[in-house]
Amino acid sequence: MTAKLLLRYSPEALDRPILARVIRQTDAEINILHATLDAVKGEILIGVEAPPAEIEKLIHLLKKNGIDAKKLERAVELDEDSCLDCGACLSLCPTGALHAKKDYSVGLDEDKCILCEVCIPACPVRAIKITKF
Amino acid sequence: MVTKTYEEINKRIRDGDAVVVTAEEFVDIVRKRGAEKAAKEVDVVTTGTFGAMCSSGAFLNFGHADPPIKLGGGEIYLNDVPAYAGLAAVDTYIGATAISTTKGIEYGGGHVIEDLVRGKEIALKGTGYGTDCYPRREIETTLTIKDLNQAILVSPRNVYQRYVAATNSKNETIYTYMGTLLPDYGNVNFSGAGVLSPLHKDSNYETIGIGTRIFIGGAQGYIIGPGTQHAPTKAMGTAMVLGDLKKMDPKYVRGCTIHRYGTSLYLGIGIPIPLINDRVTKTAALGEDQIKTNLVDYGVARRDRPILREVTYEELRSGAIEINGKEVPTSPLSSFKVAREIAAKLKKLIEKGEFLLNRPAELLPRGTVFKPLKQVTEVPITKEIMTKPVITGLPYEPISRAAKIFAERNFDHLPIADKNGKLLGIVTSWDVAIATGTKKKKLSEIMTKKVIVANEDEPVDVVARRLLQHGISGLPVTNTKGEVVGIVTTEDISKLVGRRKK
Repeated sequence: MTAKLLLRYSPEALDRPILARVIRQTDAEINILHATLDAVKGEILIGVEAPPAEIEKLIHLLKKNGIDAKKLERAVELDEDSCLDCGACLSLCPTGALHAKKDYSVGLDEDKCILCEVCIPACPVRAIKITKF
Repeated sequence: MVTKTYEEINKRIRDGDAVVVTAEEFVDIVRKRGAEKAAKEVDVVTTGTFGAMCSSGAFLNFGHADPPIKLGGGEIYLNDVPAYAGLAAVDTYIGATAISTTKGIEYGGGHVIEDLVRGKEIALKGTGYGTDCYPRREIETTLTIKDLNQAILVSPRNVYQRYVAATNSKNETIYTYMGTLLPDYGNVNFSGAGVLSPLHKDSNYETIGIGTRIFIGGAQGYIIGPGTQHAPTKAMGTAMVLGDLKKMDPKYVRGCTIHRYGTSLYLGIGIPIPLINDRVTKTAALGEDQIKTNLVDYGVARRDRPILREVTYEELRSGAIEINGKEVPTSPLSSFKVAREIAAKLKKLIEKGEFLLNRPAELLPRGTVFKPLKQVTEVPITKEIMTKPVITGLPYEPISRAAKIFAERNFDHLPIADKNGKLLGIVTSWDVAIATGTKKKKLSEIMTKKVIVANEDEPVDVVARRLLQHGISGLPVTNTKGEVVGIVTTEDISKLVGRRKK
């Protein structure tokens, strides 16, 4: 299972290689999906492929190093009944999470989604939704 | 030469002997077995398309209230979407792009039409000016499609033969009727059903015209004439169509919102092409590798947008095309999956003898030209109104130079250019003000490097929209080489208002 973690860096944490150190202490495989850094804060969205216990350990280690790490309980959802299979979203999706299937219907690979939300307003029938729970 | 008559084909349909294939299947048959054999074996080729068609709408008749009201000449709203009130007392036309007075482009005429087809309740609000025979002034009620006497889809322009493919050279995202276009050729959007495109499969219009029976929104309807903007010489033919909304299936009639553009209606249409002669066989056999369109730069907001190159539907459908050596992802805006479904559905209907072909009373014209709008006043071009020559600063000059210019000349903007006049940045009086008391010395330290510019040949309307969108009061004007040739401010533009009205 892939979990998505949002890591918020404070200015003091910005210049230390925390993520690299933490990764070496766990067996989790991580993938950086999205990152923004500026003078006052930093945010990194990572995808983690690991069993739940390992993910908890990762969160714990990050927090110990002063990073506000939070598991994202959001999911992107494609309402297949409403979807026109038009494809308007396809070329906007930066990761290929939204893709054309063999029969030209639109498919969504949730694991690849980085929750950038570009597709949400571009869908002509509002068939893509971000659910927060 | 293989020829067939409508009578022969319809007899075979009635007898259950007709050989019907979809346009996609027909391309394969011709490539494997040759055109002549295919023409002998196949009677009808079915097509289909499912895309946003803005020039769609429906005539509705409400029946009379008691006491009666004359809505014609008054106002009509369906779920808060304005409908046309220029017909008789209780007739209206609801167009797909009309937008809600309460929800804006989230809900429009296209959605009203879908909700009618779904059998949902629609709120009618109307006013009339009151006459001796129609004394009532206001009406508020709810209706479903069953309560209407007629609900007839009549679209002045549907089933465009093909569509251009759109991309964007600008350095910012633009929102168009061709969808969201990412900056710097970030994506390509295209429309049209390609190999299944109804009008492309008989591009000489030998079987398509007034009276052609078609599949429309899940029901049977007709072509009632050439569509508006019909441009046969550019392979951009269109058709005017009619169908009974009461018999339609909401699967093929869907209201939609094109982000930051407006509302429209996704409509499913399929046209059967009887193979009456070799020319029709030939066009019906065109594959996606043979159907081409132009890749157009929508970053240029003019009527005649630059064409980057010709592309085939095969390239577009592959998911990515090449622009300037870069792989660029493509999006269809019309559903190929549903287009296929429509072609297959139409095929079934004909095979079962439930859909007969009509010989058109008159074919779609082949020579008409789509003219641009006649304009009695020319739109001014930026270079005609900009301030020139323009004073520019060099990046290594001191900030005090800008302060001096602003004070002496009453300017607020100083473009920074290199020795050859090439634009590097811009400094405003605000930048100078906030630099006071800091250690910054040179103009290059305080200039904004990502400058929003106007090109000298752009129409003023386009530049005015850019100023408004970015909330800025002026921008440097460059020529095609990127050299600063002037500056245009909101002041220059406001001066025009008086001039234009004369």
